[in-house]
Amino acid sequence: MEMIGGDDTDTEMYGALVTAQSLRLRHLHHCRENQCTSVLVKYIQAPVHLVWSLVRRFDQPQKYKPFISRCTVNGDPEIGCLREVNVKSGLPATTSTERLEQLDDEEHILGINIIGGDHRLKNYSSILTVHPEMIDGRSGTMVMESFVVDVPQGNTKDDTCYFVESLIKCNLKSLACVSERLAAQDITNSIATFCNASNGYREKNHTETNL
Amino acid sequence: MAEICYEVVTDACPSSVYESTPAHSRRRPRFQTVMHEDWEKNCKRSKQEALATRYSSIPRSSREDFSDQNVDVSSPRYGVSSVCGRRREMEDAVAIHPSFSSPKNSEFPQHYFGVYDGHGCSHVAARCRERLHKLVQEELSSDMEDEEEWKTTMERSFTRMDKEVVSWGDSVVTANCKCDLQTPACDSVGSTAVVSVITPDKIVVANCGDSRAVLCRNGKPVPLSTDHKPDRPDELDRIEGAGGRVIYWDCPRVLGVLAMSRAIGDNYLKPYVSCEPEVTITDRRDDDCLILASDGLWDVVSNETACSVARMCLRGGGRRQDNEDPAISDKACTEASVLLTKLALARNSSDNVSVVVIDLRR
Repeated sequence: MEMIGGDDTDTEMYGALVTAQSLRLRHLHHCRENQCTSVLVKYIQAPVHLVWSLVRRFDQPQKYKPFISRCTVNGDPEIGCLREVNVKSGLPATTSTERLEQLDDEEHILGINIIGGDHRLKNYSSILTVHPEMIDGRSGTMVMESFVVDVPQGNTKDDTCYFVESLIKCNLKSLACVSERLAAQDITNSIATFCNASNGYREKNHTETNL
Repeated sequence: MAEICYEVVTDACPSSVYESTPAHSRRRPRFQTVMHEDWEKNCKRSKQEALATRYSSIPRSSREDFSDQNVDVSSPRYGVSSVCGRRREMEDAVAIHPSFSSPKNSEFPQHYFGVYDGHGCSHVAARCRERLHKLVQEELSSDMEDEEEWKTTMERSFTRMDKEVVSWGDSVVTANCKCDLQTPACDSVGSTAVVSVITPDKIVVANCGDSRAVLCRNGKPVPLSTDHKPDRPDELDRIEGAGGRVIYWDCPRVLGVLAMSRAIGDNYLKPYVSCEPEVTITDRRDDDCLILASDGLWDVVSNETACSVARMCLRGGGRRQDNEDPAISDKACTEASVLLTKLALARNSSDNVSVVVIDLRR
């Protein structure tokens, strides 16, 4: 297990407890002999509802995943439906066919299996969860993503884990950047709203004085 | 062969090689005083050039750089072909700037040629096409550069180019770019860059990535660049020394992700993927031509074959005939570049293909 971010000691301690609990309850994968598995953690300084709103979009993973150029879903995103993902050039894949296995808006759980496409990740299954977390005194999010996948012929378990972890790290880092940017915009909008309300108050006061 | 080439080109991207576009007006200024006969020759040459440069538009600034000297004497002869091929998107870019730099106290200008093969999206390669030659021009400091100065000039230019594409605040994304993300810290778009500056007595090549420059000398290929593949022993050592790892997935890849060890951009893979160019400086002799191309060509065509095709198109590679019409030489270079492109497509290249052929005969 790897933890990314979470330098703060208190957060790390508390996060470790939540991490262990979440691992036991939600990140169970049945890992066979020819497979490898791992879990990654990322702390994001953005509210959990914002982060979840990005990751739950089964039909628009390109909103935060940097390696996806396009995604097509037939019908409404619901359990069992498929998405066809086009991968950007330069990577060892061109397409990926993925099925939505689990989408829990209460517990914030997203489960996806890769069932086809032009790549070497066979029997890939992943679970992503988001959890509220206090980071530097503000409400933030801890994201956990775990996966299990076949080890391709010619590669080692270590190779395969390293490669998939590299991809997931890029995805989570990008998710952090997008979320934190949107969170900053939210704060800016809130300040703007407050200023408008304040102006309204002063106008009202002025009117009363005239009367 | 011709039939096979024709079919493949038609299937792959039928309009890209044959369709003519009026790009010539941006390449060379028209001299209003030319006689009718000269005007016709210019038109034919311009159309021929436009035929091959559909996807490699040249910015207007090239006209500003144009020398007022007699173009028939100082202007380089070259041809370009750049096609999408079987890839979904066109992410290659080509930049050609004749007389882009004129050292003081010298009557001979220097010419710039660059091929940029983008990956992840097209905007980094497009940015290189627009900017890298200007950065090189700015970094050129002395009238007669020696070997060390050329290396420094190129290394600084490439580093500045890399910083430009990484800092989004300073740059504007090309209008046709489809990036939804545009997040500075997670930039996963990059480009190769193989650049050549040709002076009267030297050929300078700076390379970053897996595009390539090959000199044809007496009909034999002389590589002026070495591909930056992650399993090249010195590159592998450098990557692992920096804490990275090369995984053989479908081919050697940095972190299992990127198939080249150096590139402009790709900030998320730094410091494993470096933007430092390798620079070679070669004295000119009785050379035939120089070929710059993306790996869409070199993955399926050997240096030897490319040289043979180019030399054949330049009619045996002998010394250029006295008073040979410059239009003839340009046409030969264009034919060479188009033929090489067709050959790559016929051999099932699965990538964009960009080829520049430069006539070096004196």
